[in-house]
Amino acid sequence: MLLADFGTTYCKLLDTERDEKPHIIASRDLPSDFLADLGTGHNAVRRSKRAMNELSALARGGCRLIADKNFVLLDCGSRDLKFVRFAGGKVVDMGWNAECGASMGFTIELLATYYELDYSTMAVPTSGFSITCGVLGMSHIFDAVVQGSSEEEAVARFVRGIALNAHRFAGAPEELYLSGGLCANPLFVACLPCKVHLLGRFVLLEGLQDLMSAKLVKYP
Amino acid sequence: MQERVGIVGVPPLSAIAELNRQEALIFDLDEPQVRAPIDQSATWAPRVYCAILRTVVLNCMHLQLDRIFIDVGPGKCDAALYIAEALEGMLTIPIHRTRNEDQTAFGFPLCTTAMPLEEKIAQITRSVQRASPHQVRPACAPLCGFWGVPPRDFALLRSFPEQTHVFGWTRCMENKTPANLDLEKQFNPDLPTVFFTQSFCAKAALAQHLGRQHPQALVIDCDVSPSNSARAKIEAFLELSGVPISVTTAT
Repeated sequence: MLLADFGTTYCKLLDTERDEKPHIIASRDLPSDFLADLGTGHNAVRRSKRAMNELSALARGGCRLIADKNFVLLDCGSRDLKFVRFAGGKVVDMGWNAECGASMGFTIELLATYYELDYSTMAVPTSGFSITCGVLGMSHIFDAVVQGSSEEEAVARFVRGIALNAHRFAGAPEELYLSGGLCANPLFVACLPCKVHLLGRFVLLEGLQDLMSAKLVKYP
Repeated sequence: MQERVGIVGVPPLSAIAELNRQEALIFDLDEPQVRAPIDQSATWAPRVYCAILRTVVLNCMHLQLDRIFIDVGPGKCDAALYIAEALEGMLTIPIHRTRNEDQTAFGFPLCTTAMPLEEKIAQITRSVQRASPHQVRPACAPLCGFWGVPPRDFALLRSFPEQTHVFGWTRCMENKTPANLDLEKQFNPDLPTVFFTQSFCAKAALAQHLGRQHPQALVIDCDVSPSNSARAKIEAFLELSGVPISVTTAT
């Protein structure tokens, strides 16, 4: 069975009938006639025989990967933020921010390309910009550079602002499980003001596997 | 000639009974009655405002009404009080401001019966236009709860199962006691419940307060129409709460 997490900029794919790990393909490189058996994400309804909504996939995937009964799982993707909070093994809160938290991951990637930055070598700034979305936040970078900051320092403060905003969106937990593309960004992870467990980019695929399997997780 | 009367909120039973006797044609102005962009209402009401009251204004701009009953008391909201002023300025017809504090309970059989939620709430809103007692209906064993007002866009209700029990002001509407805060505050803690308000509505404070008390709640607000993320939150909440899974199939 072909499973797909159709992210805005990257698709995560898993063929369960092949002995292989999930792999990533840029969404722009996906063949126009590509059709998954079961999908989630922005294009899932159009590109899948069956589609599952992303919050459900995130929660199910989190349950498969996290042993704790009490946790907050935050997914930071190219376009939006999603979180689920479990208490005693039950979902007690969730959120999906596709508007005010828009385009954070995508903007962070664009900035690295444009300014030729390597997030793994950048220092964590002591303060961040007060921003709520990637697009509007870019003005702060331009202003800071005009006022004499280095491009690297300005982008780092931008990333810190994004991280603080994401943390607040998830309810400001002391401990956080993180999924999505920003798991691979060391600066972003270091800017989160809490203990962070990285789950990587395939948590939603785990959720699809959970739905696919006969042993459906019982909620609550 | 049949009189065309618009109503906003739930006017007192005495007013509805009188309109029924006169066989007036009643328009529920809280619901979309015309096909027109809601931004047209911006001439008379702010864009950042309750979408239901913006709909009231839009309806009044297009419907040729003879008069309007608008409830402005504790059974509706302060915003309606001010919209009544705007209607007075934009129309030349009589605007009757009412304060419905009726306490005679008519019951809420629709709220607890099995029926698609869109249809259930549509029937509840239509019942406001009648002064007659409700038809008896069997209550169903509920799977989940919906607390709140009838949404401006009923598309919000599509993910819910037929066995959804309705609470909040919608229940007060069917009971014909829109100012009954005690009834409005009721919920069933054993049912996963979506607490809904329109964006920019004062009832959001009550929804948040009750949602905090409820062990399994989703508090949500929507403006004109539900966004994809709002719909997804409801679907995920219901599914993860044990309500039957809804999986979309591609065509």
